[in-house]
Amino acid sequence: MNEQGLHGRLASSGIAGIGALDSSARDPFVVLESAALVPALTFLRDQPDTRMEVLHNVTAVERPDAMELVYHLCSLTHHHSLTLKVKVPRPEGGNHDNWRPEVPSVAGVYSAAIWHEREQWDLLGVRFAGNPDHRRILLPEEWIGHPLRKDYVYPTDHGGIPLELDAVPLYERRPGQPSQPPKPPRPAGTPLFQPPAALSKRPVGAGGTTDEGRKQAEALEKDRLARRAPGTGAGGTEGKP
Amino acid sequence: MGVLNNSLPDIAPVRGVDAAINWGRGSSIWPMTFGIACCAIEMMAVYAATFDLDRFGAGVPRATPRQSDLIIVPGTVNAKMAVRVKRLYDQMAEPRYVLAMGACVCGGGPYVKWGYNTVKGVHKVIPVDIFVPGCPPRPEALMDGILKLKEKISREAVFARRERSAREMDARYG
Repeated sequence: MNEQGLHGRLASSGIAGIGALDSSARDPFVVLESAALVPALTFLRDQPDTRMEVLHNVTAVERPDAMELVYHLCSLTHHHSLTLKVKVPRPEGGNHDNWRPEVPSVAGVYSAAIWHEREQWDLLGVRFAGNPDHRRILLPEEWIGHPLRKDYVYPTDHGGIPLELDAVPLYERRPGQPSQPPKPPRPAGTPLFQPPAALSKRPVGAGGTTDEGRKQAEALEKDRLARRAPGTGAGGTEGKP
Repeated sequence: MGVLNNSLPDIAPVRGVDAAINWGRGSSIWPMTFGIACCAIEMMAVYAATFDLDRFGAGVPRATPRQSDLIIVPGTVNAKMAVRVKRLYDQMAEPRYVLAMGACVCGGGPYVKWGYNTVKGVHKVIPVDIFVPGCPPRPEALMDGILKLKEKISREAVFARRERSAREMDARYG
């Protein structure tokens, strides 16, 4: 069954909150209401003509307006797959540093989801209501913040281990010496999305991948040779027998 | 040996004994069985038959820090692992040496800017003797690092009284 067929089965299942199929993407997906998530996954797993036995992964994308959860399902029996998405809208206005979007856990449907959901909690701060083991999975338990969030503030050290490039090595510190000079705290109202870094002034393809760049590189090389051997023409060894 | 360390005059017979001891130490560097990330795969290749680190006397990885002279740190050191690396280094007996293998261990590598969890070089945690950059380094590069370490050991003073910089003393006895 293809994605259209699977979406048709879902839509005719009587579960409320099934959205339309977006076929414009290379990997077509269905957007669900968060309340429809557990019934839809249970339905897809248990119906004999869908039989989605495998939950490949649970991941999340932080968008300007929402946190988007992505579920990849596949069936080993029928060799078909489907992508489901759940959007949790971002609350209006204000500082979102402590925003913890919440979706129902699918650990009761696929136990493989426990670790995937722990990873999303660890890195993106998504709460999964009903996950039986809701801890961090990769970072230390006492870690502060969720590193893949756009508004994450980078730590200077963790438990005495310096994490900055300009930190003073542990064994070179005098007693009481701080790891580095104190830095000003992050100012209030810092934009959530940082502007892209300024582009390099170096011409694209200066190494010789475009015609213009190759010409430029040749001119530079000629100039270099001329400066190295003044009076002997363009090159030091050229023209000699 | 501990009592006599750097206590004898720096004369030819003492230097001769030092040279003999350094030859022994440099020709039997026992590394610790230790791997963190992808560089460890390359390190295993260096131990194995094709490249055969045993030709230089360093092919006997010990399974305990108490018996090893060298800790090769192969792979990204993150905040969780740095504590363990430091503990293992502290458990090693003197003389002990550290070889930082790979770009991540030499200074953060690809994680240098946005690595929220990465120690930007293992030299922030333990004093490093030899840096071998590369992502991962070629086996030849690691072998060259071992040979450089051997060279470094051959210049050490065991019994002879020789000046040490304050930095070196701090790193060793801090």
